[in-house]
Amino acid sequence: MKQPLLALVNLNKYYGDVHVLKDISFTINEGEFLTLLGPSGCGKTTLLRCIAGLERIESGDILLEGASIKELAPNKRNVNTVFQNYALFPHLNVYDNIAYGPRMKKSLSEAELKKRVVQVLELVQMSGYEQRMPHQLSGGQRQRIAIARALINEPAILLLDEPLGALDLKLRKYMQTELARLQRKTGTTFVYVTHDQEEALNMSDRIVVIDQGQVQQLGSPREIYNSPANLFVTSFIGDRNIVPVRVLEVGEERARVKLGEDSVLVRSSRTNGKALQAGEEAVLAILMDKMRVSCEEAENALRGTVASIHYAGSQIRIEVRVADRILTVVEYQKMDCDCAVGDAVSVTWEDSGAILLPKEDGWEERGF
Amino acid sequence: MSTWKRNLLAAPVLLWIGLLVGVPMVLVVALSFLSRDNLGNIVYQFTLDNYRRVLDPIYLRVFWNSLLLALLTGVITLLIGYPVAYISANLPPRRRALALGLIMLPFWISSLLRTYGWMILLGNTGLINNLLLALGIVDRPLPMMYKFGTSLVGTAYMLLPFMVVAVFNSVDKLDRSLLEASYDLGASRRQTFFHITIPLTLPGIVGGFTLVFIPALGLYFVSDLLGGGNTVFLGNLIHTMATRGRNRPLAAAFSLGMVALALLVLSLYWKVSKDKSGEALFQ
Repeated sequence: MKQPLLALVNLNKYYGDVHVLKDISFTINEGEFLTLLGPSGCGKTTLLRCIAGLERIESGDILLEGASIKELAPNKRNVNTVFQNYALFPHLNVYDNIAYGPRMKKSLSEAELKKRVVQVLELVQMSGYEQRMPHQLSGGQRQRIAIARALINEPAILLLDEPLGALDLKLRKYMQTELARLQRKTGTTFVYVTHDQEEALNMSDRIVVIDQGQVQQLGSPREIYNSPANLFVTSFIGDRNIVPVRVLEVGEERARVKLGEDSVLVRSSRTNGKALQAGEEAVLAILMDKMRVSCEEAENALRGTVASIHYAGSQIRIEVRVADRILTVVEYQKMDCDCAVGDAVSVTWEDSGAILLPKEDGWEERGF
Repeated sequence: MSTWKRNLLAAPVLLWIGLLVGVPMVLVVALSFLSRDNLGNIVYQFTLDNYRRVLDPIYLRVFWNSLLLALLTGVITLLIGYPVAYISANLPPRRRALALGLIMLPFWISSLLRTYGWMILLGNTGLINNLLLALGIVDRPLPMMYKFGTSLVGTAYMLLPFMVVAVFNSVDKLDRSLLEASYDLGASRRQTFFHITIPLTLPGIVGGFTLVFIPALGLYFVSDLLGGGNTVFLGNLIHTMATRGRNRPLAAAFSLGMVALALLVLSLYWKVSKDKSGEALFQ
């Protein structure tokens, strides 16, 4: 098997008494776009800074191309960072900002350097901006210069710390495609930190979901979206209805569960080690946009009454009361039935949109 | 808001500056063109004699002494003050407050007393000489008082806090992520210091130098007490002329000569440092 580009081995990090990274272990392959996704304060930025060498780790190891880099100072590591606030040097123009790395390392002659600066500026579509000062650039332009300044060093890994956080929505969408293009074009391995699930799902080859300093799940965007490994991932990614149910019988891949009066057959989570038992309480999570409301009785459906209907542009949100729970259904086209508030309806869903997970201690208090 | 309304809002400040800065300046300028009688009374008769005497080559030496003292004071306070300010600004918050407090502490004691303190230290029968004699390092006391160097040490000591505070503020404002970016791009600590930290704290250096240079040019009691009048500086000259010399018009003309010298040196200095540091910093 091919050796991974970067391997994190049982990495631990403390800030005083606070254990911010707990036994982090995973590998990053050459040329992939890997995203560290998690809520603010989960430790994802700290993890990125550990890889860059800006934070020391208390235990564990970081292997770059098989060799430990944990004792190396940041300037000795073959990785570069694009900082959240870009951190362009305000007293240097665009050319000198980009030339900074090679000049400090004395890795290129001034003539070669000039050629390379022109190349990377072209790459980020900022040709001709050499003489501008950072304060004369817009947020999106600064972003591109920060990327160019890192890429000119030809790092083994480019680390990006929420680089789109400061941009407005439209520019953010545009820069997502732009970053993906840059990554494919240069073949550089990207490790990207974000708290925005849409960004992560859009751009990544693989996503590492992090919460409370621990890896919750690692997988392709598709795996993570369709088969969340635990309740945290279930609630953090995708808009889902999350309701407690009682397990009636357990099959190979599916289980029959009861909510209110009705029982339904649903896919059960395989990624989680703990097997479900008949008779116990479990949690059912269904993606809102994979659900349908129909006026007639249906197979494998939950019956309820319409509590409210909201029209929000292209989508319609219907809240249905099932037993003592409210389920939200998001429909994009015309609704199947022309129901009104108070009508009795059946709620169905695409099989892949629902998943059954074991109950976790205190899950309701955590606001799922 | 219309222009005159905005000016009206600034009126209290303008009035304050006008009364406390403008009027005295005008009086000094006016005084410098007047004569005096033998008793030192002002005679209201226009003359350029005072300025002719300021430009007299025999006073060139005094201008030079003062310029050298002020420049060297600027350099010494920078060399000592920069590291002190840099380290203090990077301390954790509580110790930082303590460090700043200690730097400002001498201001609580009269500067005259502190100058006498230096005499006790440096005199022929002072602490340092006694110590050296007792340890047998020297046979007879080292003559350390009443020299140019003594005035320089005293002046630099007196003005050091201004430099520290000015540099402290600019180090404090320095964005730490820029230093991280520099390391991340492959620069060593040393390279980062010279390519990032120094250029970005240049406003503090320029400010500190200005705050030290101007008073150093005119401070007279330190060189009076520690220099013993062996080297004549502008401040001492003006002081003597205005008091014992009973020639206030001439003292006024010399004062304006000193202002001209300060403006000349500082304008050169500002120009050079601005050119080197980029426009973004001064906006």
